[in-house]
Amino acid sequence: MPLLEIRDLNLAMKSYEGETHILHGINLTIERGEIWGMVGETGSGKSLTGLSVSRLIPTPPGRYLAGSIRFDGHDVLTASDAEMRALRGRHIGMIFQDPTTNLNPVFRVGTQLLDVAMHAGHADPSVLGVAAGASSRVFKRAAREKAVEMLDKVGIPNAAARIDDYPHQFSGGMRQRVLIAMAMIGKPDLLIADEPTTALDVSVQAQILRLIHDLVAERNIGVLLITHNLGVVAQICTHVAVMYRGRILESGPVRDVLKHPSHVYTKALLNSVPTAHSKRGELRGLGGILPESFA
Amino acid sequence: MSLAVENVTKIFAGPRRGFLGPRDNFMALDNVSLAIRKGGSFGLVGESGSGKTTLTRCILRLETIDSGRILFDGADVHQLKPAELRRLRSRLQIVFQDPYASLDPRMTIHDIVAEPLVIHNDSVKMSASERTDRVAELLLQVGLRTEHLFRYPHEFSGGQRQRIGIARALAVNPEFLILDEPTSALDVSVQADVLNLLHRLQQQLGLTYLFISHDLGVIRYICDEVAVIYRGRLVEQGEVGDIFDNPQSDYTRMLLDAMPDPDPDRSPFRRSA
Repeated sequence: MPLLEIRDLNLAMKSYEGETHILHGINLTIERGEIWGMVGETGSGKSLTGLSVSRLIPTPPGRYLAGSIRFDGHDVLTASDAEMRALRGRHIGMIFQDPTTNLNPVFRVGTQLLDVAMHAGHADPSVLGVAAGASSRVFKRAAREKAVEMLDKVGIPNAAARIDDYPHQFSGGMRQRVLIAMAMIGKPDLLIADEPTTALDVSVQAQILRLIHDLVAERNIGVLLITHNLGVVAQICTHVAVMYRGRILESGPVRDVLKHPSHVYTKALLNSVPTAHSKRGELRGLGGILPESFA
Repeated sequence: MSLAVENVTKIFAGPRRGFLGPRDNFMALDNVSLAIRKGGSFGLVGESGSGKTTLTRCILRLETIDSGRILFDGADVHQLKPAELRRLRSRLQIVFQDPYASLDPRMTIHDIVAEPLVIHNDSVKMSASERTDRVAELLLQVGLRTEHLFRYPHEFSGGQRQRIGIARALAVNPEFLILDEPTSALDVSVQADVLNLLHRLQQQLGLTYLFISHDLGVIRYICDEVAVIYRGRLVEQGEVGDIFDNPQSDYTRMLLDAMPDPDPDRSPFRRSA
C-alpha cells in the first residue's frame, strides 16, 4: 500500500464571483523513501494540493467535488476532526514557506517546540520515549529533551541554550530549521514542505536541502516538496509532478521528466531558467498567457 | 553616465551597551570600491545582510556615507546641493524588488508612471496631456497596453507590476538604472520575460545597469561584469565569464556550488540510480 494516494482530486473554491474549479483531477502516489517535487507557477494549485493532504483547506469556502486522498490507510477527506488532529503533526509533518510568519514572536522557540512534542506525545508516548502512564512532570521533561535533540539534529549550535531564545534572535535559516525540527518531532511518515527554501539564501538553501535529503535516507519517510525552483527539484527529488492551472501535466522520475520532457509546457518551463550556457536575449518566458487548451 | 564608488564605508550605530556604555557599531559597507562603465551591466551578488541594498541606498544618497566618495561623471553625489541632487536623480532611477509593495495601491497606473515627470517637471517641462502621451508610450515600451492606463495596481499580476515599476523608472529618460532584485518575487517563466525586456530596453535606450541579485544564474544571463559582496566587503569583481568559470575566492566558489542546477545529473545528492 502506498504511503499517500491522491486519486482524481477535484477542488472548487467559493468567492464573491461564484465558485471556481481549482484542482482538476489530481492523481499522485507517494511511496516511502520518495521525494516528490511539485513544480508550477504561482496559482497553479501546488499549495492547495499540499494543504489538502492534511485537510487544512476550510470547507467552505473550499468544496471537494470528487476524488479521494488515502494516507496510510486513512481516508483523509472523510476522517473525523479528532482523527485528523492525530494525523497532523504526528504522521504528517508540514513546513511552510515563510519562517518569519510561522513562528509566534511572543513565545520562546522552546515553548512552541514543546507544544508540538507534547501533542505528539499524547497521541503516542513512544515518540518521547516515555511509558504510557508517565506523570506529567516526566512527560514534560522528556518532551523538552526531545525538543533539544531535534534542534541539535537540524544543526542549531548550542541547542540546549538556544531553545529558550525568541524567534527574532534566530536568523532566517535558523528559523526554517526550527520549523523543520517542529515538523519532524512527531516522527512523521510524510513530510509536506511548501516552498521551504524560497525565502532563504542559496547557501542556507543548500544546507536545508541536505537536511531533508538526510532525513529521508535515515527514516525512510515520504516527502512532498512544493516549489517553483526547478533547480531544487533537480537536486533532491526522486520524482516530479508538473502542475499547470490545477492539473498535473506530466509526472514521473525526475530524470525522465527534466531530461526528456514530453509536455510542451515542461519544455517551456525548463527553457525559462537561466543556465550557464544561455546567451542574452535567448531565454523564453511564458508570458503568463497560455491557451486554455494547452492544459 | 559612469559611476565610480571609491572606498565607501558605511557604519550603522548599534544599541548602547548599558546607559552610557559604548555602542556596538555595525559596518555595513567596508571600503567598497567599484567602477561601472557607461552602457554596461554591472551585477552585484550577495546574500541577505551583505550590504547590497545599503550600497544602492548610498549611491542614491538615501543614506549618508561615513567615508569615501561616490562619483557620477566626476561629480561627488554626497557633496551636491539639493537642486543639483534633484537633477542628478532624474538621470538615475531605481526599480525596486517587491512589485507588490512599491506601487501605491490607491494611484492609477497613469499617476504612478507620471509621478516622476511631475517631480522633475523643472527639467522635463511637460503639460498634463504630454505627460499622458508619454505614459502611454512608456506602457507600450514595457509591453503593456494603453487600456491599462487608468487601472489600479491590484488588477495586475506580479510580472505586469514589475513592468509598471520599470516604466516608472524610465519615465524621465534616465541614463542609469539601479535594479534591486527586480525578478526575485516573480515566477521563472515571468522572470525570463522581464529579463529579456530589460535587455531589449538597454539596447534601445543605451542604459547603464547596476543589477542587484542573489541569483547567480540571473546575473550571469544579464550582466557583463560582476562584484561579489560578503559582509560589506567586495570579495571579488571582474568579467562575468572569469568570475563564474574561474572563481578566485572561496566564498564565490561556495556560492556557485550552492546554486541548484536544473540538470538532475549534476546534483550532489543524487544517489546512483
